[in-house]
Amino acid sequence: VGQLSNALLVVYLADVAISVWRRGDRRRAVTVVGSMLLFIAAAATHAALVNHGKVRSPYIVIFFFLGLILAMGYELNRNVLGSREMARKLQTSAEELRDSEERLRLAAKAASIGIWAWDIPRNDPGASSMTRAVRKSGESEQIGFGRFLSSVHPDDREGMQESIEKAVAERTEFEREYRVQLPDGQTRWMAARGAVERDSAGAAVRMRGVSLDVTPQKEVELELLQQRSELAHLARVTMVGELSGSLAHELNQPLTAILSNAQAAQQLLAVDAPDLGEVREILGDIVAEDKRAGEVIQRLRLLLRKGEVNRQPLDVSEVVEDVLKIMRSDLVNHRVTVAVAPSPDLPAVSGDRVQLQQVLLNLVLNGCDAMRRTAPGERRLYVRTERNGDGSVHVLVADRGCGIPGEKLGGVFEPFFTTKPHGLGLGLAVCRSIIRAHGGEIWATNNVPDAAGATFHFSLPAAAARS
Amino acid sequence: MSDRPPTVYAVDDEPAPLKAVARLLRTAGWNVATFSSPREFLERIDPAAPGCLVLDMSMPELTGLELQQALEARGCALPLVFLTGRSDIPMSVKAMKRGAVDFLTKPVDREDLLVAVRRAVERDTAARNERAEVAAVQEQLATLTPREREVLEHVISGKLNKQVAADLGTVEKTVKVHRARVMEKMRAASLADLVRLAQRAGVRPA
Repeated sequence: VGQLSNALLVVYLADVAISVWRRGDRRRAVTVVGSMLLFIAAAATHAALVNHGKVRSPYIVIFFFLGLILAMGYELNRNVLGSREMARKLQTSAEELRDSEERLRLAAKAASIGIWAWDIPRNDPGASSMTRAVRKSGESEQIGFGRFLSSVHPDDREGMQESIEKAVAERTEFEREYRVQLPDGQTRWMAARGAVERDSAGAAVRMRGVSLDVTPQKEVELELLQQRSELAHLARVTMVGELSGSLAHELNQPLTAILSNAQAAQQLLAVDAPDLGEVREILGDIVAEDKRAGEVIQRLRLLLRKGEVNRQPLDVSEVVEDVLKIMRSDLVNHRVTVAVAPSPDLPAVSGDRVQLQQVLLNLVLNGCDAMRRTAPGERRLYVRTERNGDGSVHVLVADRGCGIPGEKLGGVFEPFFTTKPHGLGLGLAVCRSIIRAHGGEIWATNNVPDAAGATFHFSLPAAAARS
Repeated sequence: MSDRPPTVYAVDDEPAPLKAVARLLRTAGWNVATFSSPREFLERIDPAAPGCLVLDMSMPELTGLELQQALEARGCALPLVFLTGRSDIPMSVKAMKRGAVDFLTKPVDREDLLVAVRRAVERDTAARNERAEVAAVQEQLATLTPREREVLEHVISGKLNKQVAADLGTVEKTVKVHRARVMEKMRAASLADLVRLAQRAGVRPA
């Protein structure tokens, strides 16, 4: 029986040792189990010695026990001391944590930063909660994802949800600007940035991030955009002013045709047996010419319109055609002939038709201006569109004018650069700002040594193919 | 003198107004010929053809004013009616000084155009008649002998027969005979008539 109980004790000790070992406290496992084993071995040896009569002493008085009790006492004490030390450390680190949280909160408040964490539930993002530091009070509150989304401006809501879902699905960083509507009706611009955290299996469990109130920056940015658009409009109106004679002529032609046709028809109908076939033909011509006049007005209205920038996929060659139509009679007046070489495989660009028309109008007008001193027969303008190696679109307008003095080549796009007596010097500067806003570049070169005159180039990135 | 009916030549680089203006003139009873470029017109025009020219002012390759010059250089005296999209005063003054009949602004009213065309054709007819008359006088002038021509030059300067005789170193009687022959050859009814004919033929008084 004694042997069996000893064996059970060893099994139990082994189990304890393993579980303590697994919990990570290896030293203690070795100490406790080692000393127990030592005690059992010593007690068994002592019992055997007494049984065999080699040692004469009572069972209880064993020096082993003494040593063991001392050792256990020491260990216990050490633990007690250790735990007090640990408690003190814990308190300090809790204070430090509070301190650091406070500092972070203060910093966040000072920088108008909101810090949030969103626990992503397995299936239902709507029911999850999101902790968000409220911008003004600096206090935290728990709000659901649904409620968070409902605070986002309706126009941005769908995009916001899409971006977040995309970040979660693709486990990428999330970054977005959006508007929120405050309960008092105010709209603020926010910029949020977050990262998705994953569990060991790779599933998204949490998203942490910061939100920043960027309303003042956004307002400056929008104001700048507004000013740029107004400046572009101003430059356009000035240019249309320059073209007004030409545009009036463009309207006069169909009006002349309409009036003469109508009066001819009146004359035809004044006789007893009018030639109705010819009258019909005349009416057809009147309709066609009226439509032509309408197109002229439409083009003009588009140019003068003070609208928002409207990006759409565009064929730049078509824009070139539009511009040459608008300028037709101005070109005749300037005695300028234009050769156009449109590329047959031009990729579409994403652009605002009116603004790109403005750029081309400017370049063509400048080209005509530069050729004022060129002999009438030599006043030739060459417009080409082509596809660059990298897939972008390149447009060039070459004239046979006086060229640009070398030292001024770089400065022609600066505001207030002008060679015209009444020029504002805004045309090319506005062109540059338009082209840059389209993600492109604009530059000028001289045609020397092959020919006289200068060439203006711009390139635009191809519109991203729609997937 | 030509018996050909007058034709209105219309030149405009834009087909629609050209067609319409031609139609308008045709319905008013005119013979109309259209040309879509000044060069085409210059190549095909017969300087002897009577009529007038209705011309758009601003055309590529050749402006209205340049065409006017080119016609002058070719001895073509067709009267011009300019049509213009803009009321450009310096240009119209220049055109009128060079002998344009009218300068009309597009869109042009039927009445204005018809009045201008009628006036231009009338002027052409008058000029042709004038030229025919001058040619006839010059023909008569050519039949004079050198002596008769001398007598004519002296007579039209208002000199008496006696003075003419003295100037030419002859007698009054001979001058009288020459003078009678001049009057007859020039078909002049009176001295005043003779002076007028001589002037028209460009004879300078001695």
